[in-house]
Amino acid sequence: MSQRHLLALFSNFDEAEQVIKELRNTSIKGFDVNNDLVVKSPIEHPEVEEMLGDKPVYVQWFTLFGALMGGLLGFFLISGAQANFYEQIKGGKPIVPFPPNFVLTYEMFILGGVFITILGFLVCAGLPARRSPLYSSKVSEDQIGILVKADDAAISTLKNIFTKHEALEIQEEAGK
Amino acid sequence: MSVTNLLENWSEFRHAHPVGDVPHDPYKWAMSIDLDACTGCNACSVACYAENNLPVVGKEKYAAGHSMHWMRIERYWPVDDTTSLEPATREFPDQGAQFLPMMCQQCEAAPCETVCPVGATNHTPDGLNSQAYNRCVGSRYCSANCPFKVRYFNWYDYPTTENVWPAEMTQQLNPDITLRSKGVMEKCTFCVQRIRAGERSVKNEGRVLKDGEVQTACQQVCPTGAITFGNLIDSESKVHQQWKAQRVELTADEQEKDKEADSGLRGYRILEELRAYPSVMYMERVRESAI
Amino acid sequence: MKDINEDIAWAKINKDVLKSLESPRKLYWVILAVAIAMISVAVGCEVYQYNMGMGVSNLNNPHVWGLYIATFIFWIGMSHSGTLLSAILHLMHADWRKPIYRFAEAMTTFSLMTAGLFVMVHLGRLWQFYYSLPYPNDRGLWPNFQSPLLWDAMAIFTYLSSSILFLFVGMIPDLAICRDNMHDGWRKKLYTWLSLGWEGTDRQWRNFRITYLTIACFLIPLAVSVHSIVASDFAMSQQPGWHVTSFPPYFVAGALYSGCAAIITLFIILRYTFKFEEYMTLSILKKTVRLTFAIAMIWTYLNAIEFASVWYGHDQPSKDVLIQKATGPYAPFWWGMIFCGSIVPLMLAFKRFQTNIPVLLVTSLLLNLGMWLERWMIVAPTFSHGYYPWTWDHNQWPSWVQWGIVFGSFGWFTLLFMVFCKVFPSVSMYEVKEMVYHRSRATKKLEASGMQAKGAH
Repeated sequence: MSQRHLLALFSNFDEAEQVIKELRNTSIKGFDVNNDLVVKSPIEHPEVEEMLGDKPVYVQWFTLFGALMGGLLGFFLISGAQANFYEQIKGGKPIVPFPPNFVLTYEMFILGGVFITILGFLVCAGLPARRSPLYSSKVSEDQIGILVKADDAAISTLKNIFTKHEALEIQEEAGK
Repeated sequence: MSVTNLLENWSEFRHAHPVGDVPHDPYKWAMSIDLDACTGCNACSVACYAENNLPVVGKEKYAAGHSMHWMRIERYWPVDDTTSLEPATREFPDQGAQFLPMMCQQCEAAPCETVCPVGATNHTPDGLNSQAYNRCVGSRYCSANCPFKVRYFNWYDYPTTENVWPAEMTQQLNPDITLRSKGVMEKCTFCVQRIRAGERSVKNEGRVLKDGEVQTACQQVCPTGAITFGNLIDSESKVHQQWKAQRVELTADEQEKDKEADSGLRGYRILEELRAYPSVMYMERVRESAI
Repeated sequence: MKDINEDIAWAKINKDVLKSLESPRKLYWVILAVAIAMISVAVGCEVYQYNMGMGVSNLNNPHVWGLYIATFIFWIGMSHSGTLLSAILHLMHADWRKPIYRFAEAMTTFSLMTAGLFVMVHLGRLWQFYYSLPYPNDRGLWPNFQSPLLWDAMAIFTYLSSSILFLFVGMIPDLAICRDNMHDGWRKKLYTWLSLGWEGTDRQWRNFRITYLTIACFLIPLAVSVHSIVASDFAMSQQPGWHVTSFPPYFVAGALYSGCAAIITLFIILRYTFKFEEYMTLSILKKTVRLTFAIAMIWTYLNAIEFASVWYGHDQPSKDVLIQKATGPYAPFWWGMIFCGSIVPLMLAFKRFQTNIPVLLVTSLLLNLGMWLERWMIVAPTFSHGYYPWTWDHNQWPSWVQWGIVFGSFGWFTLLFMVFCKVFPSVSMYEVKEMVYHRSRATKKLEASGMQAKGAH
């Protein structure tokens, strides 16, 4: 059965919360609240995310990996280069001196951490993303959008719920 | 590749120099300068200009601090009280001026080497402080960190500057040495071109250089023989014997002369407490009057 | 006095900030023109120096470093307050930073770029600068990793790239706003491309929050390490007056200090130029001023400690350098530094000056003058009066080439900064909304529980 998107806009978070609560409590055929519901908001709002259920974030594992690899790469690249570089003494210090290498390892640790965190962010948040089928520039202004994907049969039920909660605007994807 | 190299030769990469390290072998080039013999005639400095193609910058640039004298004669007027910074009350004391020939001290633990961002200056296996002109980017950190300020920077492009080497003078330039372009640091090399030529010539005979076979330009021209240059490892060499007679140790940061009050020793090295371990020993002046 | 009007409509926030991208006051174009004129002075000087050799800067032996390195430290230092506002205050949940952190972060990025130029300008062989980069090559040559200058290069690269990424990530939601509201043209294309298709979905926000927090955590130790490493250029050397253990914290304090002073200056200029009176409120200015005062006192303390430890130490050359600073040819500048850095900030302790814009503008400029003098007084006197008496040189004076390049660098920074503020939203729209949202909720809660509503602080 073909699926369609529906975007409803609400004026504040309380209304959006009520809608999500109701969607979670009613079971609608052809609509899975955990996978087919996306909340779009103009600001970061952890409470709304809690309403959506426990969705883990994996960015920090990228961070750990990036930082460790950066540090290791830094230390071995530098020590290896020093060892190969003419084997000449400088200032009476050992050819592979620890204090300078630790400074550089520290910098590489941070560099790796930051770069791979950003990479992790892009991967985990799915950016750069294709624009979703329904979008309103009001979402980046002051309204909260709820985007759902459902079977054709469930669309009218969802619409009713949105209307009941005083949705400011409901956009509907044209039927296929 | 490099990790294996690191692990295999780890101890070699971790030794510090010169304290607790094996001495250089077969050469450790060093110098000793007898200040009692120095008359301040500046012949050494002139010889250095000729041998090493040093640019003659002229009065104005000299006054601006852009001179390139690798070997310089410093003139000091004795003060009334050595513990005070006040200048002498008499303009020309009876003792006369004191002179100190100053050039790169070829430190065993040179402060200039660690700070160079590109590794253009290094410690060579025969105990010199080398300077790779081609590698130098001109950050001047080496000079900033040199306690003796004996490094000279090419503030201008001297080979193309007028009157540095007038037309007829270009004939006297030393072909064994490059001309340095602008933006490069340079300094006394202990006439490394002579050392290398000497090493090559005795290599065919399968022996090492003997004392006196390589002379630096300044040593060669010194009319009073105040400058001695040679291989410190070679117990036959004059420089070795002088260092030994003065009980000056390469790896010490305080010499016998300063430990005992009336030791009768004269040998010391400049700013030893900084632990740069210079390769030049000076013997302090004992005579009372001007020559 | 409230930090921000809590009843402000979100749509108005968008409208006001977006307006700054299109219609600044006339003063904006004047600033831009002056900046370009200043840059052309510096470019002229640099071209001359590049062709003639470093000698035209009047640097000499022993004065091998001069205003270039001093100004380099100055710009690096200036960059630190962006991180203070965006990362440290972010972790401390100080939400008053929200309307002003974006431009502070931009300041970080652009002052780092300016600082980087000084390293280049200072090199004797600029055309060979890549020798100091660790790139694989046939000859197996690497830079010398022992040199503090190389740590500098590494630290600045890390800091610059991380700051740009941090600035960019924090700006993505705002870029989406721009994309949604701009009319067609190159800017719309730019914002569409840069906003990466951001739509503010829950998944995006969830990952965004963690990412932002993580990078903030990385940036704090990074910022501290960057200026400690710059301090190492001096502290790791052996010269009297430089070889000081307390240099790294002293440099970090000085960095935050000059950065905060610069934030006050730019705050005032931006507020007027882009008509941000409603967002960059006097109450926020007051908080920044108090922060600056606190840091000024820390700097004063560390400065005094440095003098005291040299004075009570037995290292005669270091002591001589200190005496030279206070009584020698540099004395006017050294005392000027003490005056601008430690006496002038006392003004900021008075409540009536904390929101007085003309006074603050002058004061903040004086503070930065003091901080610039501080850097010069770290670099130059040691050269003039080092270990080796024969090389003492108390008469060296930087030539107009040096002054010209230093002068032009301010134009370069201003140009980059002003262009940024015109092209990108310099007030964070989504975070001001968050601030307004949370504050009005807190006020409502207070009212509901029958207590009298006061300001959030």
